[in-house]
Amino acid sequence: MAKITKTFNAGKTKAFTALRDIDLQIDMNRITVFVGPSGSGKTTLLSIIGCMSRPTSGRIFLNGRETTSLTQRFATEVRRNTFGFIFQSYNLIRGITVLENTMIPAYPGGSKHGIVKRKAMDLLDRLKIGSKAHQKVESLSGGEQQRVAIARALINGPSVVIADEPTAHLDTDLVMALLDIIAEIKEEGKTILIASHDPLIFQSSIVDRVVNLRDGAVVE
Amino acid sequence: MLLNPAIIALISGALLVSGFAVYASVMGFQIIRWWDIQSGSERQLMMERKTYLITTIFAYLLGLQLFSLFLFVYTADHIHGLFVGAMCAAGSLNVNDFGYPTLVLKVINFLLCGIWLMVNHMDNKGADYPLIRIKYKYLIVVSGLLVGEAFFQTKYFLGLRADVITSCCGTLFGEDAETLAGGLAALSPFPTKILFFLSVVLTIRTGIHFMVTGRAARLFAALAAWTMILALAFIISFVSPYFYELPTHHCPFCLLQKEYGYIGYPLYFSLFLAGITGAGVGVVDRFKEIPSLREAVPRSQENFCLISMIGYSVFVMISIYPMIFSDFVLDG
Repeated sequence: MAKITKTFNAGKTKAFTALRDIDLQIDMNRITVFVGPSGSGKTTLLSIIGCMSRPTSGRIFLNGRETTSLTQRFATEVRRNTFGFIFQSYNLIRGITVLENTMIPAYPGGSKHGIVKRKAMDLLDRLKIGSKAHQKVESLSGGEQQRVAIARALINGPSVVIADEPTAHLDTDLVMALLDIIAEIKEEGKTILIASHDPLIFQSSIVDRVVNLRDGAVVE
Repeated sequence: MLLNPAIIALISGALLVSGFAVYASVMGFQIIRWWDIQSGSERQLMMERKTYLITTIFAYLLGLQLFSLFLFVYTADHIHGLFVGAMCAAGSLNVNDFGYPTLVLKVINFLLCGIWLMVNHMDNKGADYPLIRIKYKYLIVVSGLLVGEAFFQTKYFLGLRADVITSCCGTLFGEDAETLAGGLAALSPFPTKILFFLSVVLTIRTGIHFMVTGRAARLFAALAAWTMILALAFIISFVSPYFYELPTHHCPFCLLQKEYGYIGYPLYFSLFLAGITGAGVGVVDRFKEIPSLREAVPRSQENFCLISMIGYSVFVMISIYPMIFSDFVLDG
């Protein structure tokens, strides 16, 4: 990341700068946790890294390829093939099953339905939630929904997993279970970026690096 | 006279398209002056966001613009009954000094806008906006012509008066008329038929050669463009008399009437489509050395070439249909 700045409502009286001149290099195949109080810019930064939004100024390079200038169709391709997202409130789609939720991000890729379904079931089994594949997601507990969200994030085989406050609705036991899963994902060679202000996460031994954010800037 | 839905649509559409074109041109000047893909400045990122939106909207508006050529001719034909002496669009367009210039501008803009759409299509294939400056320079030129067209079209419709006596197509496109149209009408049918079929065969043959070998793109484009121009002349010379089954009737507009099954619309549409896409093969050939377009250009060229050849085939089939199936024979 080179001089990433994000200002909302730029030029208006309600302008708010969420990120200021962020210069950062993130190593691949590592777990990096962004720590900071609410409003420090963690979620904004992760959404920009994940090609879900654009900065006001600055550039992001992903394995040497610049991503901030990409038009929607190229950004969508990068986002779909490179990133898996685990949202704070999971954002699972109510009314459809666990299996269907897991498969959804794979549909635009055009792979055969049977292959996607098999892959989704493998992920759900690995996360020990395969038995609930045909249940509607709203009937699941918080921890179970968390695991469905992780499976959905991994369906396209991304090299980077982005998790925004993944432990916000979990108790300690579930947080520890989540850390085990994250450690396994890292062992597969994936890069994991987590935004969290949960000490159980950023003080964990599996975390390689902690980046402190305050008022939109990196604090050394 | 203005309270005709088609006229209102044409004027509104022209004002919308030309107005947006001016706005896009202002953006274009900024891009040409300030664009730097390596920069991460706020201005650069804003231009990147804006250009995607502007060119998307402009592409849709140009689609409407292409349609407006046919709507304009249809409208001119539709109102011919209001003018003494007018039998078709030929007479309606002759009512004041702005009719034919509007038509000529619309045809030119139709071709230029079609090519702009192809250049835009290629630019969107590259992740690094490889044709951004070329596209906007071209857009500025097209915008000027669109504004001109909107002006002439509005003057034409505002200047329509029912108390004007105009000429019918028999006079304008008669073999004795000392005009370009008259000269084309007076051409001997047999040699022009030979030239027509030879042009089309050469064009399609070159197109097949390009599809198979990937070479001679620019030759094909030149032939496609040249054949389109010739075909417009041939329509006046010998194609239209076959549809009218009258050797002295050379009007290119009466083909658009219900009496002749509106055959003029598919005839002209297939011809323009073939000409524009054929010319586009050569236009985008310039861009094949750009790294981010190295794969996209040949693929798009093949698609354009195929569409062009299909267009010419359809045009020929429509043109020769009455030559084969009617009892009328045009000697000479």
